[in-house]
Amino acid sequence: MKYLKDWKVHAFCFGMVLVSELIGSKPFKFGPVGFTLLPMLYALIIGIILAKMKLITMEMMTTAVPYITISVMYLTAKMSSTVGPNLETVFSAGPALLVTAVTKKLAVPLLAVPVGVLIFKMGRQAVGCGFSTSREDAIAIIGNMYGLDSPEGQGVMGGYITGTLLGTIFNGLMASLFCSLGFFHPYSLAIGAAVGSSSMMAACMGAIVEAYPQYADQIQAYTAGGQVIGSVTGMYVTLFLALPLANFMYRICKREPKPAKASANNKAE
Amino acid sequence: MSETWITRIKVLFLSAVFASIGNYISSSKTGRPITPLEAAPGLIMMFLVVVAGCLVDDLARKTIKVKLPTIIYISLLSILISIPGFSPIAEYYVAELNKMNLLSLCTPILAYAGISIGKDLDEFVKQGVGIVVTACVSFFAIFFGSVIFAQVILMTTGAI
Repeated sequence: MKYLKDWKVHAFCFGMVLVSELIGSKPFKFGPVGFTLLPMLYALIIGIILAKMKLITMEMMTTAVPYITISVMYLTAKMSSTVGPNLETVFSAGPALLVTAVTKKLAVPLLAVPVGVLIFKMGRQAVGCGFSTSREDAIAIIGNMYGLDSPEGQGVMGGYITGTLLGTIFNGLMASLFCSLGFFHPYSLAIGAAVGSSSMMAACMGAIVEAYPQYADQIQAYTAGGQVIGSVTGMYVTLFLALPLANFMYRICKREPKPAKASANNKAE
Repeated sequence: MSETWITRIKVLFLSAVFASIGNYISSSKTGRPITPLEAAPGLIMMFLVVVAGCLVDDLARKTIKVKLPTIIYISLLSILISIPGFSPIAEYYVAELNKMNLLSLCTPILAYAGISIGKDLDEFVKQGVGIVVTACVSFFAIFFGSVIFAQVILMTTGAI
């Protein structure tokens, strides 16, 4: 039975879920700020440890990839079920949801490209890595426009690998820290949690729900709203606004007066 | 039945079982344990919504050649079912789904992600500091660029 061949992947998953849930969430506090480690983050870290110990084979690793996309569909169904009872609240946040669908995508090249170019003296890799959060859709865009063997392609692939490895943990801790600042309303944080990648979103939203359990339903509803609008508009905003902005930021940082069209256009052919 | 569907149903079934056991552990810690059996109706309804969403997606791709992310259909379906007054089972649906903690649903997802994470480990070590930091700045930026504008707009529209 070829459909039972992957039993080890599921057995590991089950074991990791058990261990993670038994440890439970652990809050850490450093004076005014703090963060909470959630079971889902342990599951990820256990995976890294098991891989380092060579207990997970390459075959198991590649088998598990599509299972992420499948199991995440429950999360979508669960989050969306909070929208119906909070329909008015979500509609009242409509303008915020629409505007942030664009601003969040533009903030990325605005901040990330200068960091890559000015601090790390990177070349066009900074555009590939800094124009978006380097998820699958970004790879498709860069692959199409520059080719994945170009400097831009190296950038987006590097960003992609960093994201799969660190992105979820980074997002979970960052959201937790933001909550502990107490400066932002949980609804604003919830809209921010719609970051595109589902595991990063899960970590981000999970941290916010953990910090504001009394708003759990509304938080899920806002994040679900942001995620739905983002998944419809995201590709277009990334392609038509964020990528040109990244190229513009690159030229400014490199002090190139005229558009450096050569690199982009030659490889597009 | 196609291979995709067999895998889909298998993984959906198993991750529901894992999540419900994780949910039992985490809810026991709060003093109000929810057994997998109690959570079952909610999980079964979610399973049906997910399957229906996938079917609509398949249909849209084949007949009208519309390619949207599958989660759009699942999300819209789940939203419609949860609207009180519009859907006759809205209250039952929401109440049963609430027996499953959000965080417990996330753990199996990230466990599968954890199993697959090792394949990028060698590539990751080869990345320069610049790439890693730039990528982390991008994660910060997408969150911050949303939170700050959301806060301003929600405050000016009086939503918060």
